[in-house]
Formats: sequence, C-alpha cells, structure tokens
Amino acid sequence: MDGTVFIPLMVIIPMICAILVNLIHGTETVTKIIAWIAAICLPIVPLVATFGNHFFGGYQPLAAGNLMSTLPEASNAIISGTVLQIFHPAITYAFGPGQQVVLFILGLVAMCAVFIAIAETKQTSGVYLFMLFMLSAALMAFVLTDDIFNLYVFFEIAALVQVGLILVSRVRGNYETGLKYMLLGEIGGSFMLLGIGLLLGMTGNVNMTDMVVMIHSGLVNPFNPVLLFAAAMLIYGWLYATGLPPFNAIKSEIYSKGLPSGSMILQSFSVIGCITIGLAIIRIFGYLPTTQMAMLAVSVIAMILGICMAMVQDDYKRIIAYLAVGELGYIGVGIALGTAYSITAGLFQAVNELVVTSFLFIGFGLVLYKTKTSKISKLGGLAEDMPVAALLTVLAGLTMAGVPPFNVFQSKYMLVQASLQAGIPELAIIMIILSIVTFLAFLKMAYAIFLRPKPDDLEVSSANVPKTTMVVMVVFLIICLVIGLFPSLVTSRLAYMALAALAL
Amino acid sequence: MSFSIVQCGSLLTAALLMIIGLVALVYLDNVVKKIIGAAFIGDGVNLLLISLGYRANGITYILLQDMNVTNFLGQASYPLPFALVLTSIVIGASTLAVMLALSVVLYKRHGTLSASALLNDKKIGEDNNE
Repeated sequence: MDGTVFIPLMVIIPMICAILVNLIHGTETVTKIIAWIAAICLPIVPLVATFGNHFFGGYQPLAAGNLMSTLPEASNAIISGTVLQIFHPAITYAFGPGQQVVLFILGLVAMCAVFIAIAETKQTSGVYLFMLFMLSAALMAFVLTDDIFNLYVFFEIAALVQVGLILVSRVRGNYETGLKYMLLGEIGGSFMLLGIGLLLGMTGNVNMTDMVVMIHSGLVNPFNPVLLFAAAMLIYGWLYATGLPPFNAIKSEIYSKGLPSGSMILQSFSVIGCITIGLAIIRIFGYLPTTQMAMLAVSVIAMILGICMAMVQDDYKRIIAYLAVGELGYIGVGIALGTAYSITAGLFQAVNELVVTSFLFIGFGLVLYKTKTSKISKLGGLAEDMPVAALLTVLAGLTMAGVPPFNVFQSKYMLVQASLQAGIPELAIIMIILSIVTFLAFLKMAYAIFLRPKPDDLEVSSANVPKTTMVVMVVFLIICLVIGLFPSLVTSRLAYMALAALAL
Repeated sequence: MSFSIVQCGSLLTAALLMIIGLVALVYLDNVVKKIIGAAFIGDGVNLLLISLGYRANGITYILLQDMNVTNFLGQASYPLPFALVLTSIVIGASTLAVMLALSVVLYKRHGTLSASALLNDKKIGEDNNE
C-alpha cells in the first residue's frame, strides 16, 4: 500500500472523530472509546505515513513548460495578465521530514489534551471533545497544506473552534472574551482573505509553490504595489493568528479562559499559526527586506511585552499566557531572520514550545484543580499537598526559561547563534536577558505558590491529583529531556522544512 | 491588464464596504452594529474576489455540449475566485451566527448591548472557575 494515503488521514481521522463524538454525545462509554482510539492515532499516523505529496481528486500539477500550450487563455493571472506556469489544479498536501516532527509532537499534545479532558471531568462532554478534535484537525491541515486559501479556511475553522473551547470552559467572562476575540478575528481573517485575493489576482492561483514560481521567476513584477499590499495584509493575519502585538492581550485572555486541556490546544494554534503563516510569508515575500524587518520588529516587541506584562500579573494563568505569547516572539525571530539556520532554529523553538507550554498549563491546571483559585496572592505552601506535581511544574517553568539540559535551552541557543550569524548581536543580547528575566519570574511564582507559608484562608481540596495528568506531565518531561540531550533528532528533520521554504 | 467599468465600480464598492465596516467596528458602541460592521468587511472582501474573476462580456465557466472549446476558453470568466467566495460566504455566515448568538446571551445576562459595558476588561473579571 502506498504510504502517502496516510497524509490526508492525519486531517480526516480527527475530523470524523469530532463529528462522531458530537453525534453520540449522550452515550459516555462509546464517546470515550472513540476519543481514546482517535487520540492514539493522532501521533501514530505521521510516523507511518510516507513522505510525498497528496493531490486531492488525484489531479497532478501541470508541468512547467511542456504543457503550456494546453493552458487556456482564461488561465492568465487576473491583475497581471501573466500566463500560468505550473498550475496545481487540486489542493496539495505536502509531507516531509520536518512536517513529520511537527505533526508527531502536535499529535502527542492533542492526544494528551484528550486524555486529560476525559480524566479531569466527571462526565465526558462530547461537545468539548468535538472542539479538541476539530482544532487538532485544523492544525494538522495547517502544517500539511500548500494551498493558501485552504490555509485560510482552516484558520477560520480554528478561530471558531477556539471560541467554542472558551465558551464550554465555564470560566467567568468567557462569553465576553469570546465575542471580543471574534470581532477582532473578523478583521484579521478578512484582511488575510484580502491578501490572498490580491495574490490570486497577481499570480492567478492559490497554490503557494505556483505563486513562488510566478513571483521569483519574474513573470510577475515582484515590486508591484498590489503585491506589497498583499504582504501587509498577510502579516496582519499572521499577527492575529499568533497573538503577537497588537493581539497579545486578547490572546493571553483567551488562554487564561480555557481549561488546562483546552489551553494546551489553544496555544498550539498560535504556535502552528506562527510557523505556517510565517513560512508562507517568507516563501512568497522573502525577497522583500521590509517584510522581514516588520516581522522581526513585531517579534522582538512581543518578546519584551510578553515578559513585562507577565511580571505585573497576580493571576498565574495570565502569567503563563503572557509568557507563552512572549515565547512566540522567539519563533517569529527565527523565521523573520530568513536564513536556513535561523528558520530551523525557529521551527525547533516552535516544537519545543508546543510541549513546554502544554506542560506548564497542565501543571498550573493542577493548582487550580486543588485550590479553585488562580490568584497568586491567595496561594502558598502547596508543595506539601502535591509534592511531585509541584516539582514537575517547577521543572516545566525552568524548561521554558531555557535552563539546560532541557530542549528550550538548545533552541534558544540556536536562535542566539542565528542572530549572531545574521549580524544582529543586539538581538542575541535581548534574547539572553529576557530568558534570565523569565527564569526569575518563574522562581518568584514557584516560591509564592509552592514554598511560602500557606495562608490561613486557603482551602485545598482533598481530591487526589488525576493519575492520567501526572503520567502526561512525566511524558512531557521525558520529551523535553530527550530533545534537550539529542537535539539533532529534531533539527536534522526540521532543516528540510526550512530549506523547502527557501527554495527558489 | 485593464479593468472594465463594471469591474472598477465593483472594486470601489468593495473598498467602500470594507471602510464602512471598519469604521463601524472601531467607532460604534452597540455590539450588534459592530457585528454588522464586521459582516460588511467580509462582504467587501468577497465582492473584491468576485470582481477579480469578472470578464467583460464573458460567459459562465460551464462547458456545454454544443460549445466550441476554443471560443469557450476565450470567453469564460475565471472560475477560481467564485469557488473561493462560496467557501468564504459559508465561513462568514457561521461566524456571523456565532457572534449574534453570543450577543443574545450577553444581552440576556447584562441587559445591555453596549460594547463599552460588555467588553470592558475590568468587568470581565478574574479567571476563576464558576
């Protein structure tokens, strides 16, 4: 059997599972069994799939040159009038070693989120599982698709499902936050579609490879103002998807309104959006220094703002949320520097971020589980009540701060090297300083929650910490350690994705 | 490539819709009016996409049995933008439905549709579970 048939299955399996668990919402046991099976499939399918392309409908791309005579006049690009060169008549999913690593880690995070959602709730909600699986499917498609309109469609699906995840969380203010996010999203999504429409007008199609060929071969004037405007619109969409400034506040609010399992998937959307849309922009507009500079500037601001905003919060969910947004700035820096090494470092940081932020959300989710409060000023002495969970949570925090020998240390080290190679030592200094500040912020938070004397009015639940959650935390710790000790396991594969983004 | 008058008119209308929508979304305080503004932006972008696929005196991109293929290819409008707009309309309708449903829930809870009252950070409160 051709292993490329597994490529679309990475999207189809979670999508069908989402529909099924929603339909059989009432029958809890069946819902759980289906969710477990589908969740286990999520990280396995990327491992068994063969590298290659999948063309929906079986339509192969028309080869450049020899089939030119068969192209109709109507296939000229709309605004520029240029005749199409390659033309992919079908939506293409591309799967290589880089995508395999990203999808495996994403599948693992989604699987753990489903397991935790089942373990931590008294009655399994089919609707909640629907949201988790649908968002996972959208994220898988994000990574695989080579079609920019398909990217937009899954971007909108993901945005809608994110609001759904917030609405079912029953956290105070969730409806208000959901509406605010949707109103802002309507601008972000529409501007992104506008950018795609203008690109379609210039190049005549929506396949990113085709667009790159048209622009980089000079068939379309690369400095046409319409293209520059399209680049600006796509960057705006990128900012909204990732939660980089000016969307950092609303994105942090969204994270803090979710349940721990929901927040894991919500932050995955930001990370995956950051790398997929960021790479699409670099692929298509990499020749424009302005684009790279804009992306770089916003990423640096996000890093600084993230840590500054985190320092003044009293709510640990918000602190993690702001730090997560700040960490996205590191990914943005890697992609925006635009070299093969820096993009590999950015992708490596993204993979690490997927694991570490999820690890943190689960850890602090346990604090919420035991105390029902997220205010640091009301907490203290929890190391006595949950010693193992406290230790694991502190280790997760140190991992995010970039303490060796964990994985984030390796990716941040690569990013520092990349910025030095790019001739921007100031950037390297900023990244090192911010990592130190993150480290201090975590020490302060860990002391306040786990070590200082317990306040008299703090009520700690006697319920045991769910074993599934503890197992997931240990798994994440092992992953962080293994990737930290053997980074080439991941970077050697991600380098393919970086090189593919810079081809042509 | 030159644009026809119809195309120019459509593009201008699209730009106008987007600007009106953006102004409504940013400056109006009523949540429903903000949602209408958001819908305007989406409609403007859809109209822009449709305008891109328009061809003066063109025909629909459906090849019938009695048609000459060469003539058909020369006259037919470009179908890709229309396919994209269909998808975009479905997405827009879903988003609009969810936003309106949210505004109904919020109106029942708070008795107001004022965005400054509903979407104020301080009033949303802390994030503890209910």
